[in-house]
Amino acid sequence: MYSKRIEDFLRKNNISVGDRVAISSEKGEFEGLLMPRTAGDEDVLVIKLDNGYNIGIRFSGSKVKLIEKGKPREIETREKGEKGEIAILGCGGTIASKIEYKTGAVYPAITPEELRMTFPDIKKIATIRSRSLFSLFSEDMNATHWKSIAEGVVEEIRDGAKGIVVMHGTDTMGYTAAALSFMLQNLPVPVVLVGAQRSSDRPSSENEMNMLNAVYCAKRDIGEVCVCMHASINDDFCYLHRGTRVRKMHTSRRDAFRSINSPPIAAVDWKNDRFDVLSEYKKRSQYGSLEVKTKINDNVAMIYIHPNIKPKLIESLSDYDGVVLVGTGLGHAPTNPFNDRSVRPVLQAIKNLCDSGIPVVMSSQTISGRLCMRVYTTGRLLVDAGVIGDGMDWLPETAYVKLCWALGQTKDMKKIRELMCTNIAGEISERSQITEV
Amino acid sequence: MHEYCRGDKRTFADNRGVIVKIGLEIHQRLLTHKLFCNCPSELNDEKEPTLVVRRYLHPVFSELGEIDLAAMAEFEKSRMFEYQAFARSNCLVELDEEPPFPLNIDALKIAIEIALHLNAKIADEIHIMRKIVIDGSNTTGFQRTAVIGFNGYVETSKGRIGIPFIALEEESAGIVEAKEGRVVYRLDRLGIPLVEISTTPDIKDPEHLKEVAEKIGLILRATGKVARGIGTIRQDLNVSVEGGARVEIKGAQELKLLPALIENEVRRQKKLIAVIEEIRKRKGYGVKEGAKIIDVSDILAGTSSSLIKRALENGEVVLGIRLQRHAGILGTELQPGKRYGTELSDYAKQAGVKGIIHSDEDLFKYGFEEDEIESIKKRLSVGEGDAFVLVAAKMNVAEKALANVIERASIERVPEETRRANPDGTTSYLRPLPGRARMYPETDVLPVLVDEKLISEVRKGMGISYESRRESLLTILNKELAEKMLRSKHLKLFEKLVADGVDPVLAAVTIENTLVSLRREGLELRDVDNVLMKVFSEYKKGRFTKAAIPEILRETAMGKQPDLVMAQEGVRKISGEELERIARENNFDIKKIMSKYRIRIEADELMEIIKKSKNLG
Repeated sequence: MYSKRIEDFLRKNNISVGDRVAISSEKGEFEGLLMPRTAGDEDVLVIKLDNGYNIGIRFSGSKVKLIEKGKPREIETREKGEKGEIAILGCGGTIASKIEYKTGAVYPAITPEELRMTFPDIKKIATIRSRSLFSLFSEDMNATHWKSIAEGVVEEIRDGAKGIVVMHGTDTMGYTAAALSFMLQNLPVPVVLVGAQRSSDRPSSENEMNMLNAVYCAKRDIGEVCVCMHASINDDFCYLHRGTRVRKMHTSRRDAFRSINSPPIAAVDWKNDRFDVLSEYKKRSQYGSLEVKTKINDNVAMIYIHPNIKPKLIESLSDYDGVVLVGTGLGHAPTNPFNDRSVRPVLQAIKNLCDSGIPVVMSSQTISGRLCMRVYTTGRLLVDAGVIGDGMDWLPETAYVKLCWALGQTKDMKKIRELMCTNIAGEISERSQITEV
Repeated sequence: MHEYCRGDKRTFADNRGVIVKIGLEIHQRLLTHKLFCNCPSELNDEKEPTLVVRRYLHPVFSELGEIDLAAMAEFEKSRMFEYQAFARSNCLVELDEEPPFPLNIDALKIAIEIALHLNAKIADEIHIMRKIVIDGSNTTGFQRTAVIGFNGYVETSKGRIGIPFIALEEESAGIVEAKEGRVVYRLDRLGIPLVEISTTPDIKDPEHLKEVAEKIGLILRATGKVARGIGTIRQDLNVSVEGGARVEIKGAQELKLLPALIENEVRRQKKLIAVIEEIRKRKGYGVKEGAKIIDVSDILAGTSSSLIKRALENGEVVLGIRLQRHAGILGTELQPGKRYGTELSDYAKQAGVKGIIHSDEDLFKYGFEEDEIESIKKRLSVGEGDAFVLVAAKMNVAEKALANVIERASIERVPEETRRANPDGTTSYLRPLPGRARMYPETDVLPVLVDEKLISEVRKGMGISYESRRESLLTILNKELAEKMLRSKHLKLFEKLVADGVDPVLAAVTIENTLVSLRREGLELRDVDNVLMKVFSEYKKGRFTKAAIPEILRETAMGKQPDLVMAQEGVRKISGEELERIARENNFDIKKIMSKYRIRIEADELMEIIKKSKNLG
């Protein structure tokens, strides 16, 4: 946004962004398109010169004149009625978009036609249908959105889709994948979430490879919720990850998504028709056996145990219906088993939560590995206090989503404990496999 | 990046009366770390990369439904790019695995300083743009670039030349090799800051072009903040020929090549215009309809042509096309050693073939037999007055190559192109001229406000301008030495020495003549700055004579420690009473004394002593 002074001036002179203007200042005469301001000093006008460059010219001391009104962007009518085998649902993120070079603005691409233009090879793999559920940054999404994605998926399945691809921002894709895994059980079709670490407005974006592999996976015999993303920083193949096992492990790299405590489902390369199975997966279920359990309780907190943590912080969580602790090591928090006076334990605060009927679930900051709360006194004290999780090898985020979901299924504390400790969607494994992946 | 001014008279007519417009674009590397990360701006000589990454690029789909022509041409090649990364020179930013850091402010300051030296106005706010380049030379698929200054100019002997824009941009990756379907790049160069300076097309003639390029080069060097050495400055030309087309010639590394490039380009376009006329006269256009791509591999199954034999053994095919009424055309020379056939071949190469074989060549040279040629002609329906083209490659590559040949042969005008400057002054086709619709904002880097504080910081750190430096040098050196010093990479050292009280002529002669003659002997003095500072500081103390300096430098260049060299008895200066004694002992025989003690004696002092003795005697 420009400063109020500029905005007022523009309004008074009937100038809007996209119009051709002439600016005359002490620096010289400029002609070009008035650009919107997204960052930088709000008292500087940004214009796109005819050679394509944008420059900023201070508004103070400049004379601005309208040369020609710009044409407003035509909003394309969405094509309807295409009933391709694979349904592509848009939730935002930058995997599919198009650039208006004139202004540099980026718009999402969502109609089947737009998707085919963005990913020309898609037609070699499948016929598609598509629609936008919403368009959000994934960090802005919450349990309501998980629910509406689940409902969108169910609608498409009922409408005959043979596979589902969900375009999603990458930040919280792991949470959504886990949520869908619990909400949609005995899936008759694969549900594949896909995103891009490099935005689609750059020629180097890995969106194309991720998308094409996702569509390829959506045609296979899988009955699970998965995430399909780059396997390495090369454009060579993707991993198909289990929805409850996948975590974004890097802020920016293409291969940020990793399966934790379990190998990915497969290594995938549609170009070479390659689907190398790396771990067993659930096959498509009978159409009739699909179970939809979208009820969810979003009043759950997750906190990171850290040195200097105060009991007050734990006590403040008493308004929540459930709490996930991201503990240290094998599943620990300060308990002070040696009764050292310099220690400030949070054990009593945790016990108070448990006693008041709030399920408290443990997970580990180490991300990899299994919780084992029997090795040290600390763990035993926490288990005795009522903390759930000993022996689990779940991801903190998956444990979090699962607790939200479990609280949506029942209010019975005993059942919640049972539900939490039962493997539902591959989030808990019986054996810690020896793998290199 | 610059626009041609139309309808003005700022053009030059070459000696054959063709109107030509010439503009210049200079790219100069800056002496600071990379533009969007903290990696050093150094090329390394490592052969083994730390990491090799393989990628593809694809054009981004534009709102307007148009994909940039130049971008598309590269995409057609659907090449795999292999990037060699080096731990010393690269981080995740160059690998396009991490967002860019904020703009390197030192680089911005240098660019602003250069813009000020070029009399330009500075933008109030710098906006970084993405310029789509998908030949793989940028891992991102675009080059980041920003306009820093505008409306500048430079004075020349033939008048003022306008500099409409000065931009700051990132250097591309260096190409290692291009094979079929694969291009290998090194990433050490990627991201080094460059200043791009473009002139208006007011340049009068090829010699004037050289002058403008040199003048701008000297202005850049005078800042002391730009990189020196091979590859650190590049000149691109914009040439428009009346009746022809605008062509951009990229990558001329030597100034002396510029006039030849212009001459050759004007000649190429003129001859091309004549070729087009000739084809038209013969009604040879409409190539597209007449040219069918036909497999002739079977005809050559038993050929004695080793080139073809090898190709067929590798599972490749030989495909051919007929070019109607083109006999003799392909052999027409357009540039020294380059024919119309070369133009077709350059397009074919884009598909990944090494070249083409055509009927205006000596086919026996390839080892073809008469009957093979006849059979090929028959198969391709080549009649009297027709030409044909063959390529040998993998089926899909060969097909694409011939399709490119047909495409080029169908262009009924001089095409607008980006061409590469060859070391012999000729040019080769690189890609079509980029359209203008290929820039959009780099949203990962915030704009930078250029305020008074920044400008005053730049002014404070600003070196003496080229013009005033030239004037001050002329007051202490003769013209020849002054011009040499202005172009010297040791100009800073020279100024330091003079400031320390060293005689300017002695300093200049040592830097420019002594070091050069040592180099001619094959001796390269290392750590020049430190060695010369040390040697001159000892010289000032009277430890040795002026004449001993070349000796000391020679021995140092041979690998000895300068301190030890200077401490040797053989260079110690003989003067005062000692010299008087020696003079007496040798009967004041100048010749004898000088030949015996050479560099250890200042001739002036000896003359003085002899004069004194004569007066006494």
